[in-house]
This record gives sequence, C-alpha cells and structure tokens, in this order.
Amino acid sequence: MSPIQFFLRHHREILQATLEHIWLVGLTMIFAIAIGVPLGIVVTRKPWLSKPILGGANIAETIPSLALFGFLLPVPWLGGRADRLAIAALTLYALLPIIRNTSAGITGVDRAVREAARGMGMTDRQILFQVELPLSFSTMLAGIRIATVLTIGIATIAAAVGAGGLGEFIFRGLAMVNDQLILAGAIPAALLALAADFVLGALERRLRPVR
Amino acid sequence: MRLVRAAPAFLLLSLAACLISCSSERNTIVVGSKNFSEQALLGEIVAQHIEARTHLPVTRRFYLAGSYICQQALLAARIDTYVEYTGTALTAILHDPIEKDPSAVFGRVKSEYQRRFGLDVLPSLGFNNTFAIVIRGEDARRLNLKTISDAALHAPQWRAGFGYEFMERPDGYEGLAHIYGLRFAEAPRILDLGLLYRALLEKQVDLVAGNSTDGLLSARDLVILADDKRYFPPYEAVPIIRSETETRHPEVRVAIAELAGKISDEEMRKMNFEIDGQHRDAADVAREFLHAKQLD
Amino acid sequence: MLGVLDVLASWRARQFLSRPPRMTPRTLSESDREPVIEFRHVHYTLSNRELLNDVSFSVARGETLVLLGRSGAGKTTALKMINRLLVPSSGEVLVEGKLTTEWDPIALRRKIGYVIQDIGLFPHYTVTQNISLIPRLERWPADRVRERVKEMLETVGLHGKTFEHRYPHQLSGGQRQRVGVARALAADPDILLMDEPFGALDPMTRGEMQNEFKALERHLGKTVVIVTHDVGEALVLGTRIGLMEAGKLARVYSPHDFVHASEPMAAAYMAQLRVYDEAKGEK
Repeated sequence: MSPIQFFLRHHREILQATLEHIWLVGLTMIFAIAIGVPLGIVVTRKPWLSKPILGGANIAETIPSLALFGFLLPVPWLGGRADRLAIAALTLYALLPIIRNTSAGITGVDRAVREAARGMGMTDRQILFQVELPLSFSTMLAGIRIATVLTIGIATIAAAVGAGGLGEFIFRGLAMVNDQLILAGAIPAALLALAADFVLGALERRLRPVR
Repeated sequence: MRLVRAAPAFLLLSLAACLISCSSERNTIVVGSKNFSEQALLGEIVAQHIEARTHLPVTRRFYLAGSYICQQALLAARIDTYVEYTGTALTAILHDPIEKDPSAVFGRVKSEYQRRFGLDVLPSLGFNNTFAIVIRGEDARRLNLKTISDAALHAPQWRAGFGYEFMERPDGYEGLAHIYGLRFAEAPRILDLGLLYRALLEKQVDLVAGNSTDGLLSARDLVILADDKRYFPPYEAVPIIRSETETRHPEVRVAIAELAGKISDEEMRKMNFEIDGQHRDAADVAREFLHAKQLD
Repeated sequence: MLGVLDVLASWRARQFLSRPPRMTPRTLSESDREPVIEFRHVHYTLSNRELLNDVSFSVARGETLVLLGRSGAGKTTALKMINRLLVPSSGEVLVEGKLTTEWDPIALRRKIGYVIQDIGLFPHYTVTQNISLIPRLERWPADRVRERVKEMLETVGLHGKTFEHRYPHQLSGGQRQRVGVARALAADPDILLMDEPFGALDPMTRGEMQNEFKALERHLGKTVVIVTHDVGEALVLGTRIGLMEAGKLARVYSPHDFVHASEPMAAAYMAQLRVYDEAKGEK
C-alpha cells in the first residue's frame, strides 16, 4: 500500500490522533502563556528575580524531554493520568521562550517612550498595559511561536508515556517495523508545526510596530 | 485590536475539530493491544469476534508500548478494550503487593478496577501467561524432573539463563532462588529473550525462565517445570472494557464474554508458534481459531 | 532665508494670537509672589559621583528659566528633580510650595508638562491618541478631549485633518516635536519642563520652533524650565538664564546681563555665539 492509500484508509484515526495532539499542545500553550507572560513581566520589574526565574526555566529546558516525563510519573496526581503528566511537562518546556521573549520585548521598548510615559504621570500599571505590552506583542508572539513549534515536536514523545497524539503512530510503527505507521504520525506532526509557524509568524509580522 | 479579529476564526476551527472528533463514530469500537505478538493475536481475536457478533466497525490500535500506555488509553477513551494479565494489573497498575492465589488476584483486580477506574474486568480467556522455568526434555526424562523443587537438587551442576527483566523484577530470579533454594554453578547468564531457548537447546545453558505461552515450547522438546511452591503470581489473560462502552453497546460485552475460557495454555503456545515460528499473519491465525471454536 | 521663516513664524503666531485665547493667562495675585519651583541646597549623588552640588534657585510664576551648560553639567538631573523622576540625596525641591517627596508622584507629574529631546511619542498611537493621553487618563469627557486635541494641533501649527490620524513614523522630525509639545500642553499644566526640546532638529527647523515657542509661551503664561546647551536658544527663550557647570549652578542671569557678562564662562559662551554669527556673515 502506498503512503497515500494508507492515509486515505486510516484517515479517521489519523485525524483523531491529530486532534488529540492539538488538544495537548493547545492546553499546554494556554498554561504556558498564562504562567510565562506574567513571569516575564515580573522579571522586568524585579531584575534580581531574573536569575532564578530564567535559570529555573533553563533547567527545565535542559532536561531531556523523555526524562522529564519519566520524572513526573511517580508524582501522585500527575502520574495517574498521562495527559495531565504530559501537559505539565510540556508546559515547563514551553516556559523559557515565552518568559525570555516577554521580558526582552518589554525591555526593548524605546527608552524615550518609557521616560515620556513616566514623566507625564502614567502609573506603572498604565505604562505596562498601555505602552510596554502593546509594543512588545510582536516579540512576545515570536516567543509563543517558538514555544508552540517546540511543543508540537516534543508532544510526539508524550505518546511514550501514554498521552496519545501523533507520537503513538510513531512508536507503534517502530515496534511493528512499519514505515507507514511511522509516517502517519510524523507527517501530520511536521505539517502541524509548519502551519503553526506560518500562522503565528504572519500574525507576528502584522503586529510589529513601525518605528 | 487585530488579535480580536483572529479569535472568531480560531473558535470556528476548534468547533469544527470538536464536531469532527465527536461525530467520529461513537459506534466504532477500538481494540488495543500491547507490543508483542501474543497480544496482537489476542487483540485480533477480540476484534474479529466483535465484528462477527455485533457487526459494529472495529478499529485496531495494536502495539501500544506497555501496560501503563494501555491503561492510559483506556482511561482517555482512546481504546475501548484490551487484554491484560491479572498479575501485571495487580502490581503495575494497582501497585498492590503480589498475591499467589489466582482467584484472589482476579477478585481484587476486578473490584479495584471497577472502584478506582470504572473499568470492567471480564473472566479469563483460559490461559495463564506466567513465568515458566524450562529445561530440555531429555534432561526432564532422564532425571525424572517434574517440579522446580526436583530441579533444585541438580542446580549446582547447571548453568541458568534469564532475561534482563526476570533478573530485575521482584517476582523474578531473586525470589525464585530464595524460595526454592536454587544455587547454580555460576551466576546466571543474562540473555536476550529471543535467544534464551536457542541457548537452552544448544546446551549453552541448562535452565531458562521463559513465558508459559511461548510458541517454541510446543514445537520443541522442552519441558516446563511445575511451580510446586506457587512462587510465580498468576497472569491470567483477562479482557478489560470501559464501562461507558458497555453502556453504549452492551452487545460488545456479551461478545467478548463468549471468549472466556476458550484458550488453553497449550492452544496459546501453538498459536504463538504459528506467528513467531512460522511467521503467519496474526489475523489469519485468529480467524482460524474462531472458526475452529465455532465462534464466527 | 532664516529671516523669511522668522517672519512667517511670527505672522502665524500673530494670527493665532488674534483669536480669543482659550487658555486664559491668569491674573497675578498674592500667591503668585511665591516661587512656583524652588531648589534649596540640593545635592545628588549616584554611584559615588556627585551630579548636583549645592544647587539653589527659584522660579517665579510665568517666567521661563533656561538651564544652560555643557553636557554632564547636571542640567537634566536638576530638571528631573522637579517632576520627581529623581529625588535629591539631600536638600529640598519644592513645587507649588510643597516638597516633591510629599507630593503624590503621579499627581505631580500630571500637573507638569514634560517634553524630552527624543520626544518619546508612542509609536502605536495616532497623533490624536498621543496628544490626548493625559486628558484620557484624567477621564475628561470624550467631546472635551476631541476639542482639546484640535486646539492643540492648531496651537503647535499642525493644521487640518491630515495629522489627526497619522502615526509618528509618518511624521517628520519637526512635526513629531510639535506633537510632543502639544501632548505636554494638552492637560493645560501650569508648569512645563523641556529637556533639549529642539536638540534633535536641524538648525532651520530648530530656529522656526524656537520662535514659535517664544510667541506661544508669552501667550500661555506658564512657568517653564528649559534645559539646553544652545546659547542662542537660551537667549531667545529665557526670561532668566541659569548657567551650570559640573553640578553647580554658577549664576542666574537676565538675558541682557548674560550678553554683557564678564564672568569667564558666560563670556566664553558669548564668544562662541559671535563666532557663529560671523560665520553666517550676518551683522
């Protein structure tokens, strides 16, 4: 059977695995953004925290993904359900690019703009929400884009601990020495990553402030 | 802001995705299996029987990497059913201490799976895939060895070969040697599972630990020693089904339950040999089995 | 050429001045004898460097004090004390009779217009949004805000609808600076602080802006403190000139006194100016 015939015959399962994958990645990105953006802001407000926060995220990033999944297995509430476990680990992975780009975006705002804002009597909160964040959207989005593409890739490994998704085809294909199964997982995953990169990249370009 | 304009598009996309996945056959039954040939065969038997009896479409999701993966797949509704072994369910999933009495093990697994996970454990398919201590047939006849205790007397003159997992597991070599007082001439050789029987037949080792349903056991002159001290836990093959699946399609449970007690140890060995030794397709072997048992 | 622009500038200013004034210059009263801004023995040290050394001066209502000096003289540091962007290490800075440290910083800054050299317009806001920033923060009613923006655009010489919806990157340097001034004046503050406001502009535009501003300030009657290193600008714009060097305030002059000053620093500045005049070939 050719790969195309295989895809057509098993399209429903492939679609379902793709949706599972998107679900894993989607939830992860929601958590990662909800945690990472505020942390990125905190880093700009309290520079002494930048070392521990960025350092911590860096450590999470350095641990090999499979090992991180394995570490979290024994944790009681997480280990019970593989998707919780996977989302927890994936969120830790996605944090670093988001925190880093959020803080870089904010500190990259033109000094003169920040000085004028402060001098005119804007509160720190107003400067954050009306000046710094809008002007750093593009950079933040770059971090989100990187994190998303990263997560789509690492989520394939999540299948090794039972979280499903497109990685499951890959692992099954490896066990059965079946190329088509492997491709059934690998190709959609690659396409997902490319699509995410494209869409978020386009959004990033549209939001880039003109100097 | 421009982001706001993108939001409706995203919502529509995710809605569409939901609809597709939801409509994706609440009628299809997904049968899973672990990643070795006996499991794939059992999965095929279950799948074909459901197809024949209920005429529901069945999707096969075989070669999942292990008990934990299969358990997660059940919980997340990625599969509706798979065949597990009671001893593995007890220790690896429930994290309970090892038990030796088969009916006690089955009872505990059944009640705990229902209580903790809402999963239904059906009666055994009829065989016990536990560890088997195996020696050459000629030795068994010459020395009149029937049980492991018998063999323990000859252990000091023998070499043993075991797989890596057997050496590491708590219910593996360590406990065995202790219970039976086994002392071998040297430390056991650790061999890849696939090479164990060949090494035994070629007299590189004299005693190995395999699985009681291994195909080669029915095809070669090999003897399984009886576990007279009941050291090894029971590993009865039991189908596990999601309660939701049973509610949606009670006929699935009826169909699978018909398979109870239909496969003996020896029958399982023979079928395993056809697949591993004769390289036959699992689907064909399953079909023949069902036909022979008049289950199709 | 410069002369034509001067004429045009003052013509425009006169044109504007003939309209009924919306920002009514206040009539002087008793309280106006009190200095609006006062520095009392202010010192400021940062990383072991003394940036301000015993600086004392006061600014009366309606006057324009120019702080003149070389780079690093401490002029900007002093300026930032007024709107509490910086706080003295010792000594006191009073605005409207109250210590800056006692003022709520936000309230203080909203009462002071602030114009800086790099302008700092928000690139993601239109001209209208930039100018109306403080009025909107102060929750002025929408129609009053609209009126005010139109008024401010007129005041700084950016006429017509064309500018309202433009973004800063679509403006020239001079236009941006005008918007910066408009933004600073939008909430009608009593005090205006300007840090090298025309420094980033080319000399032609700079001259133009200085003249326009002079006409404006006379009309507005605000209290202004300007920081500059440009002598010509100081003479054009200042009612008094404070000469600063190395963190100290040497002396405060009237423009006339400055021109005829015998002190070496002031004389040096004037000498510079004459060289420039001669280079221009004017008399």
